[in-house]
Amino acid sequence: MSSLALRGWYRATALLVPLLTLASPGFLKLGDVGPAWAVLWLLPWALVDGARSGALAGLLLGLVLDGLHLGPISEIPALMVLGWWWGRMGRKGLPIERSFSLGLLALLGTAFVGLTLILQLAVVGELQRPVLYTWLSQTLLTALLAPMVCSLQLLFWRQQTSGGRR
Amino acid sequence: MQAGPRLRLPPVRLILQVWPLALLVLAGVAIRLSKGAGVADAYAVLSRPFWPGTAQGEWVKQAQRLEDQTRLSQLTADNQRLRQLLQLRSQLGKELLAPVISRDPGGWWQQLVIGQGSIQGVTPGDPVVAPGGLLGRIASVTPTTASVALLTDPSSHVGVWVARTQQHGLLTGLGSSRPVLRFLDKDPGVRPGDVVLTSPASTLVPPNLSVGVIQSVNGMASPAPEAVVQLSARAGAIDWVRVLMRPGRP
Repeated sequence: MSSLALRGWYRATALLVPLLTLASPGFLKLGDVGPAWAVLWLLPWALVDGARSGALAGLLLGLVLDGLHLGPISEIPALMVLGWWWGRMGRKGLPIERSFSLGLLALLGTAFVGLTLILQLAVVGELQRPVLYTWLSQTLLTALLAPMVCSLQLLFWRQQTSGGRR
Repeated sequence: MQAGPRLRLPPVRLILQVWPLALLVLAGVAIRLSKGAGVADAYAVLSRPFWPGTAQGEWVKQAQRLEDQTRLSQLTADNQRLRQLLQLRSQLGKELLAPVISRDPGGWWQQLVIGQGSIQGVTPGDPVVAPGGLLGRIASVTPTTASVALLTDPSSHVGVWVARTQQHGLLTGLGSSRPVLRFLDKDPGVRPGDVVLTSPASTLVPPNLSVGVIQSVNGMASPAPEAVVQLSARAGAIDWVRVLMRPGRP
């Protein structure tokens, strides 16, 4: 496992995800729907720290978030897949520091998380709710925030990683 | 040939002297016939700066609220006493005031998190009310917090009735801001605007708590008519709630 995951201080930043999910600041909502904070944290983490660390972080985040939420549906599968995918992408060294790339990845990731939730709702027979509105709002909002939030995290963690390896 | 008596008109001078007075008399008659129109209106315009101010209006409203609260307390006490006489379940147990520390009424999960938990005696299933009426029920507790499943959550099923027609039904969340009320009777006879209360037959929540107002009715729904309910307690704008701890527990 690479250096980031070994540093407790950086791992502890993951605690911001459940805290921000619970706080759900009103000024960062679109139509009463907040962003996917887990995606905003997991994207730079996985890009910097690799596939295995990304999948593990996705699992842990999913476990914590599922504990906070009611109902039978889970974010764990989607977050694990995204952590693995983004981790592999980061290891290949693709140029994804650009704001547009981060926004696009966050958009695809949030849309994927939403789709898995919708599929689970369909399986448990609760798809009568207006999910399209929630799905679109969260996807758009997360994609808008990603260039600001993720690029700063990515920059900071990459600096720390390269500094740790020297 | 002798001419008849000549018609004598009043002198012009007299007419000129009298016409203002005649106009005044006519105006007086008009005022009398119109029950004071003009005079009362003029008085209203002139005396408007001296009308009772908003402060006096507030005093009246405050007194009205106090009277309403007193009546409500009296009626609640009467209701409790009569229910005890009839050996029915108590309407209200112990109440616990709790702050809302997290809310997500519009996302994937329709829930609130409140700042009181199992240490304070909150248990799953306890009804939660807010200004306006029933908000939901406790779904899970931690030592210091509790999650409230809102009435809009698809897992929420609460027995309610329309007091005007005394028709019972099941209020089910759809994940949207307005839950649906599925009636048990084929012909509930309800209409938009009817008030929905918790059912006296419900074993989950106290009876006759305000829930909302019927917004639209679908009489063609199968197997029984359905109605969309606008909830009276707004989860998105509430900072404090009351947990109605069910009787028989500490």
